Formats: sequence, structure tokens, C-alpha cells
Amino acid sequence: MTSDLQQAARANTAAVPAISVDGLHKHFGTHEVLKGIDFQAHDGEVVSILGSSGSGKSTFLRCLNLLEMPSAGRLRILGEEVGMKKVGSSLVIADQRQVDRLRTQVAMVFQNFCLWHHMTVLENLMEAPVHVQRRVRGEVRDEALAMLERVGLQDRAGFYPAQLSGGQQQRAAIARALVMRPRALLFDEPTSALDPELVGEVLKVMRDLASEGRTMLVVTHEMGFARDVSSRIVFLEQGTIAATGSPRQLFGGGVSERFDQFVSRFNG
Amino acid sequence: MMLPLETLQLLGFGPGGWGLPLLSAAGVTVFAAILGFGLGSALGVIGASLKLSRHIFPRLLGQTYTTVVRGVPEILIIYLFYFGGSLWLTGIMNIGGFDGFYSLPGLATGVIAVGVVSGAYQTEAFRSAYLRLDRGQIEAGRSCGMSRGLLLRRIIVPQTLHFALPALGNIWQSALKETSLLSVIGLTELLRQTGIAAGSTHQPLLFFSVAAAAFFLIGRITGRLVRRVEDHMNKPWRR
Amino acid sequence: MDWLFIQDIFRQMLVGIPLTLELTVVSLLAGFVLAGLVQALVSSRHGIIRRPAAAYVELFRGTPLLLQIFLIYYGLGQIDLLRQSFLWTLLREPYWCAVLALTLNTSAYTAEIIRGAVQAVPPGEIEAARSCGMSGLLLRRRIVWPIAIRHGLPVYSSEVIQMVKATSLASIITLNEITGITYRLASDTYRVIEIFTVAGFIYLSLNFVVSLVFAVVERFLNGHLADRRT
Ligand SMILES: Nc1ncnc2c1ncn2[C@@H]1O[C@H](COP(=O)(O)OP(=O)(O)OP(=O)(O)O)[C@@H](O)[C@H]1O
Ligand SMILES: [Mg+2]
Repeated sequence: MTSDLQQAARANTAAVPAISVDGLHKHFGTHEVLKGIDFQAHDGEVVSILGSSGSGKSTFLRCLNLLEMPSAGRLRILGEEVGMKKVGSSLVIADQRQVDRLRTQVAMVFQNFCLWHHMTVLENLMEAPVHVQRRVRGEVRDEALAMLERVGLQDRAGFYPAQLSGGQQQRAAIARALVMRPRALLFDEPTSALDPELVGEVLKVMRDLASEGRTMLVVTHEMGFARDVSSRIVFLEQGTIAATGSPRQLFGGGVSERFDQFVSRFNG
Repeated sequence: MMLPLETLQLLGFGPGGWGLPLLSAAGVTVFAAILGFGLGSALGVIGASLKLSRHIFPRLLGQTYTTVVRGVPEILIIYLFYFGGSLWLTGIMNIGGFDGFYSLPGLATGVIAVGVVSGAYQTEAFRSAYLRLDRGQIEAGRSCGMSRGLLLRRIIVPQTLHFALPALGNIWQSALKETSLLSVIGLTELLRQTGIAAGSTHQPLLFFSVAAAAFFLIGRITGRLVRRVEDHMNKPWRR
Repeated sequence: MDWLFIQDIFRQMLVGIPLTLELTVVSLLAGFVLAGLVQALVSSRHGIIRRPAAAYVELFRGTPLLLQIFLIYYGLGQIDLLRQSFLWTLLREPYWCAVLALTLNTSAYTAEIIRGAVQAVPPGEIEAARSCGMSGLLLRRRIVWPIAIRHGLPVYSSEVIQMVKATSLASIITLNEITGITYRLASDTYRVIEIFTVAGFIYLSLNFVVSLVFAVVERFLNGHLADRRT
């Protein structure tokens, strides 16, 4: 399966980006959070999205999964333009079916894991593939179990989320995202809600995913991960991309004064 | 006081025994309570949706329903449906050419009245349970491409039910006890039947005590059933 | 809408308000005292004391109030001992039967409310008081009760509202409080909408006043929380 993905990735890199946005704006009332973002993520890329609190990182990621509706701009997922129509002064989803379908292609991993508490871990993993993607239950089950093994939770399939540690819950949430066979994974501060000693196990899973060529967009405050794992850094400031480039370029210093200040706050 | 043997005969199923009428009256009590509670659940879901609406008008409607019904005596609501129902039915019958006075069957009136009262309390139970849902888990569902209906069916309803169940258990107990008020509009449920027995045997102490025991036991048994369902639904939330 | 008629029935129902209030207040006061006693018994260490008290609470909470009223109104007369005692002069009267039933009923619910409120006092705060050398009545008077009252008050306010509504059952044993008058008017005139609107309005107003009073008292007691917000 891995090699399939990598092949697909290679075949598509030149052609269609997994995610592409043009002129993305988002405001809440009069508060403008995103002020025109142009961005593309190609297959196999690992993009770390950095920025200080309130710079709009979460909002950006949530727009890509359409948990927030952009106020203006175009969004293409796997080359398919997401239909939006204007009602009054705001945009709304034109075709809910299309959005529901595309959402499974850009799977989200949340800061607070957000596993469904009334379902076992295995049921959590099988929910969307079976009920949204309408795949065959037996196959999904096998895949889900395999995915649990990958994140090291094979012996926790029948447990309920409340019975797991934070790190285990987040790994299960990552597995839940993977079983949908998404083209890209969106992570919103996946380790921020974890006790320090549990951060490592989640980061390890993410490193493994990166090394197998998954497309990942990661909002994080883990500078180590951003520097060592990602192929590209996007630095958001006050709703715009203030700097972007490879980790080597940006962390080398001198590209963006603001970015250097931002990093020095972490090291200092 | 009386001899135990006579007591047994009075409560027994033989000739002169009130066992059978009392048993069937207990059946009426449970039946009316179940139907009333069921109607209340439907009204509760509607009421909660009204109160949770984004728009002011439905919210106001829901708020009025719960405030009024929870603020006036249950017996008044029962009388309202009793008098109102017969007025309405008589009106219809007279238009249809049937003269005279008609009244709705006590069971129908009673179930509606108990349902309306129960519905007001269930509205609150469902509403506060819904408000306890974790927004993150709902978002996770949306982010997986779940449609509104699927989200409702797979995530929202099961979790809301789980949170509402303890309150619903209490409301069920209230509904059960409220059915006793239907005796005043002529429904032969447990209290009315024991009243009749008490009157004709001149043994009110005995018969009302029996009714008390019956109500208590029905409440206990159904309470235990609810607790079992609760335990089952609580399983995921236990550590 | 016939305003004259509405004014007329309103005036007739107003006559019932004093009785409704009287039944409520008398049985709430007596019920509260009894509840304190029952709760003291329920929290006893000795099973012989605790179990009957707990059963009392369970029984009165687990059976319908109307049944309790009937048991007292029709049933007590069967006990010869009672009939010969001075109590009979009272318990012959539907008024006192209603008061007795309402009192016993609310005492059971209130005992439960008191239990919950006392249980809600954080053990840490009691320990802190003990570490300051408080114990016995001083501990209760200064720490436990003040905290418990703040917890119990909102629950008790709905019990009071339940009691205002519960007095309506006294009408079934012939007392002419608001509901009794309402029933008579309704069966005399069959002008359902007007009559029940007025009756409902009266009860809603009474209960509105009750919640207002409790809101004010809660505001007063929770002054320490209000300060923090500013
Ligand atoms: N639903 C909302 N309604 C109103 N304002 C919002 C909403 N969501 C976010 N905002 C505002 O948008 C701005 C950006 O928020 P966002 O959550 O995207 O920041 P962030 O970069 O993710 O910050 P953090 O690092 O703290 O998570 C903030 O000022 C926030 O208050
Ligand atoms: Mg954020």
C-alpha cells in the first residue's frame, strides 16, 4: 500500500497539487483573520505551519477541511474546485455532498483528539469508512486493525477512548484519519494537549508517516519536528504568509527578521 | 382492625376478592405511564429542538411551553384537557348532527395530559444533555465527511441519550406517579380502583396501603431497569 | 374575549389564593423542621435508627401525593385509637389532612435535598476548618451549613415551586383553594379557555415571585462570587 501511495504521489506531483488555495480570506464579524493566502501542497510534501498564537494557523487549517467557510477565495482539493456560492455577503457550501466526499480526502487530526467517546477505538476507526465512504465492513475492519498495529495500539482495539492515555488517544485519532485513505493529513497542534512525556510517542508516529511519503500539513509548536521532518515551512503572521521556504533556508536565519524573532523566542 | 384471613380474601382473586380488578388497574397505570412518557419524549425532542434553535421565535415558543407547563399544577393541565377535550369533541359531534354531550375517553385525555407535562421536563433533560456534548467530537464527525443526518444518528443521538438518561429516569418516576391524578377524571387506574374497593369494603387503610405498595414496587422495578440501561450506556465513559 | 367575565372569574379565584399560600407556607415550614430531624436520623451510624428513616424518605418519595392524601383523609379514621384521641378533632378536618400530607411529603424530599447539599461540601474545606481547631457545632455553624445552604438553595427553590403546585391536590378533598375554585367554575360554565388562562396566570405569577425571592437570596448569599467577577 505504501508503495502505491508513493507511486501515486510521484505521478501526481507535477500535475495536480493535493491542496491548492488562492486568495483565501476569512473574517469573523469585522475581525479579519486570514488576509489573502495563496498556498499549494503537493503530494508527499510535509508542510509545517508556524506562527504565534492568534496568527490564524488553526483557522487556515480548518478552512482546508471546510470546518470554517472561507469568506473569499478559491479552494481546490485534488484539483477539484470546492463549490461555494454567495449568499448575502458570505460564502456557503454549494454542494454538501461534494464537501462531505472531499473531507475524507483531507483528514483532520485535532489538538484534543476528539475521538467519539461512545465507541470503542476500533469502532472509531471504522465509522467514517463504513458509513461515509460506504466501504465493505470486513475490509475496513482488517485495515483498521492493521492501522492500529502501525500506531502501536493493536491491543487497545476494544477499549473506549476514556480508558486510554492522551498519547494513545492521539495515536488512535491519527489511525482514524488514516483508515479513510486520505490524500492529505491535517494536524492542528497534535501534541499540545499532551503531557510532556507523551509527546514523543505521537511525534514518532508522525515522523514515520512523513518518511513514507504522506502529504501532511502540520500546525505545531514543536520546532524540532518542523526543522527535521518537514520539507517546507510556512510562517503565518497576522493572517498572511510572512515567510516560506525549506527548513534549512528559514532556520538558517536571515530570510525573515520576524521568523528569526519567532524562533528565538522558542530557543530563548 | 380485621383478621388476616379476611384481608387475604379481600385482596384475593376468589369471589368477593379485589385481586383481579386491582391487578388490571395496575396494568392501566403502567400503560398510561408508558404512553404518557413516550408522548413526552416526542414532545421533549421537539421542545429541545425549539429551545436550541438559532431563531428567536422557536426559542420563545419552547421557552413558553416549559415555563407554563412546569409552573402550573399538573392537575390543572389534566382538567384543561378534560374540559377542553370534551368541549371540542361535543362541538364536532354537534356539527356532525349528533346532539348531546360527549367526552374524550379518560385514557386518551390522561395520556395527552401526562405527556404534555412530561414533555416539558424532558425538553429540559434533552436540552441540557445536548449542551453537554463535546463540540470537538461533532467537528471530528464533520471533518470525516459525515452528513447532518449521519452525524445526528451516529454521534449526537447516542451521546445525548447517554447524558439525558439519569434525568429521564427521574422524569419517568414522576410520570408514573402523575398517572394517579387521572383518577379524578374517571380513569380506572390503580388509585381510583383502590378508592372504589375502599369505599365498598370500608377498608380504606388496607386498600390505599396496597396501592402505595404497588406504586412503590412498580417504581422500584422500573427504576432498576433504567439503572441497568444506564450502566450499559455508561460503560464507555468509565475508566 | 369577554373582559367582564375574565374580571369576574379572576376575582373569584383571588379568594382562593390565601388558602393556597397558607397550605404552602405551613407545610413547608413544618416539613423543613421534620426534614432536618429525618436527615439527622438518616445520617445516624446505627442501622436501627437509619433504616426506618431512610425507608420513610423512600416511601414518601416513591408514592403519589394524592395517594398519601387519601391514605390520611380516608384511612386514618379507621384507627380507633386515633379516633378517640384529641388529634381526631384536627384530623377530621380536610384542611389538616392536607397539611399533614403535604408536610410529610415535602419533608421526605427536603431531607434528600439537605443530604445532597451537605454531601456537596468539599471535604477539603472541612479538613481546613478542623485544622484551625473547629469541631462540632462551631464547625457546622460556621463552615458546613453556610456552604451547604448555597448548594441546596437552588434545588430547594424548585421544591417550593413543586409545593405551590402540590397544594392544588387539596381541592380533591374539598378545599376551596385556587384549583378547587377553578374546577367549580369550569364545570359550571365550560368556558375553558378563559378560566384556565386565568388560573394558569395566577399560579405562574405565584411561582414567579417564588423564583424571584430565591434569586435575590442567592444573589445575597453568593456575594463573594459576585465580587470576583468585577
Ligand atoms: N469561531 C471564531 N469566532 C470568532 N473569532 C475567531 C473564531 N475562531 C478564531 N477566531 C479568532 O481568529 C484569530 C485566529 O485564531 P486561530 O485559532 O486561527 O489562531 P492560531 O494561530 O491557531 O492560534 P493558537 O496558536 O493559539 O492556536 C484569533 O484572534 C481568534 O480569536
Ligand atoms: Mg490554533
